[in-house]
Amino acid sequence: MSFITKGKFGTALALVVMCIGAWVMAFPYLFAIGSSVKSRSEFAKDRYSLIPPRYQPTKLWNVYVNGKSDPEHAEQLQKWYPTRNYVEAVVYGGIDRFLCNSFLYAVIITSVSLFFNTLAAYAFARMKFPGREVLFNTLLATMMIPSVVTLIPQFLVIQKIGLVDHWLGVVLPGFAGAFGIFLLRQFFLNIPMELENAARLDGCSRWGILWLIIVPLSKPALITLGLFTFMGAWNSFEWPLVVLSNENYYPLTVGLALFRDQNGQDWPRVLAAGVMGSAPLIVLFYLAQKFLVGGISLSGMKT
Amino acid sequence: MKKRSRVDWGAYLYIAPAFLLTTVFSLFSMGVSFWTSLHNWDPFRGGGDFVGMDNYRRVLTGTDSVFWVALRNTTLYVVMVLVGMIGTALPLALLCRKAKYLQGLFRTLYFLPSITPGVVVSLIFYQLFGLWGQLLDKSTTALVAIAMMGIWSSMGYNMLLFLAGLNEIPIDFYEAARIDGANSVTEFWHITIPFLRNTLVFVIVMTIIGAYQVFTSVYVMTGGGPERSTQVLAFDIFMNAFSVSGQMGYASAAAWLLFLVIGVFVFIQMRLMRSQRIYDE
Repeated sequence: MSFITKGKFGTALALVVMCIGAWVMAFPYLFAIGSSVKSRSEFAKDRYSLIPPRYQPTKLWNVYVNGKSDPEHAEQLQKWYPTRNYVEAVVYGGIDRFLCNSFLYAVIITSVSLFFNTLAAYAFARMKFPGREVLFNTLLATMMIPSVVTLIPQFLVIQKIGLVDHWLGVVLPGFAGAFGIFLLRQFFLNIPMELENAARLDGCSRWGILWLIIVPLSKPALITLGLFTFMGAWNSFEWPLVVLSNENYYPLTVGLALFRDQNGQDWPRVLAAGVMGSAPLIVLFYLAQKFLVGGISLSGMKT
Repeated sequence: MKKRSRVDWGAYLYIAPAFLLTTVFSLFSMGVSFWTSLHNWDPFRGGGDFVGMDNYRRVLTGTDSVFWVALRNTTLYVVMVLVGMIGTALPLALLCRKAKYLQGLFRTLYFLPSITPGVVVSLIFYQLFGLWGQLLDKSTTALVAIAMMGIWSSMGYNMLLFLAGLNEIPIDFYEAARIDGANSVTEFWHITIPFLRNTLVFVIVMTIIGAYQVFTSVYVMTGGGPERSTQVLAFDIFMNAFSVSGQMGYASAAAWLLFLVIGVFVFIQMRLMRSQRIYDE
């Protein structure tokens, strides 16, 4: 038994298993990308291949190296240029509008919630007021409520204030969150009091301290929370589905479900829309990754 | 902190927006939900009569109620996802540490599903399950297929959580064990598992809470079919509340019953958080 888990052999075995796992992870994405550049007839005939038949090496070899001309193949290459499904998803499916809506919702939710959460977190971390513990524990308790219970009443509340089918109704419940307040408060608590006291001696106000000292020092925490809020807003499906009925306001997730219903037979196009819907987030995440909080180690103090 | 004993009345202004929003859309909402569940509520009429526990009775014993079927399906789904996820994420985390190369690539690839919209994942798997023998069209395999997708989506993220937990285990313990002649299996059961206990419980509880609320994959891929084999509670609640008119009270009652089921695990989670002292400063 132990020879499996030890030494070079163990490492090699682990690598092989991890590579198989990586393939399992990557395969659905490759399938989606491959299918999204297939023509409708190619997809109907050959759904398995990851590379569309018209781009398969043997075919391309025949055309470009052997110089054998195949009029049908040439026409296919001409007619189904690689981005055709993507263009059609925009032209016929209005995916660009859904993308735009998703982007706006996510930006609004992220910026407003960061602002509100920062204010609350700072008060809970550094200010003294009656009922602080009770209020904070109340907030923490809200974190435990599963969304399935709040979905219906949230809708009723939004309906009561007349925001059903309005963009504000989509974003309003996301404007603050206990998790964000909790996370930021933990970070603020680790910023040394000395910095704040020094600023106060220099005549800086509470408001000034928050925005000139605390917020700049908390950039990693704010970026981390901001990124996760953005991702959550971009991926949210059930809530916008409930609140909106006007297609023009649909975010990408709801728009995609609708697009699928309207283009049920045209899967390459649907998958092209799906690729367009997930690519921005993946790119954003890997760009922002290096700013994510690794440990709460920066304090601005020299010891 | 102790130097200032002066009360900051301005603090209430700082916390007001976030606190009001959060409580209105959670605690207050829960109250509204309970109130709705006691009424024969029709949101489009904007009213309804008080019916007491009648909605609960209808959910639990009504002839047209799918609650028990849905609860059975959802629980089956939760068990499948939980077993499948632990059975893949933990071994993968151990292997990822063992495989000394390509760790960055593995982390990147395994994390991808966490940043892909659930709708897109569901659309892709809808096609893949169609390729692999129409898994979604048979009532015997549809729920298994949806659980497979659930495992695929959550596996990588939980692997990273386990990996973080593994990295916190002091290396001395393994060295000491090795000197005492322990083999890998003993090390795993007597060092790795006890040290991972907190991570394990956290991952298990979060998976259960999340999986009991499964909705998007069912909505996109099966719509509860075939033959109600993928009818899950969150989907049933959604359909009753927003697709059938006049059933909002009924749906609220079902939501509360689901909350009771999840509540047990929420309670465990709260106890856990307290015991890990992240409540404290």
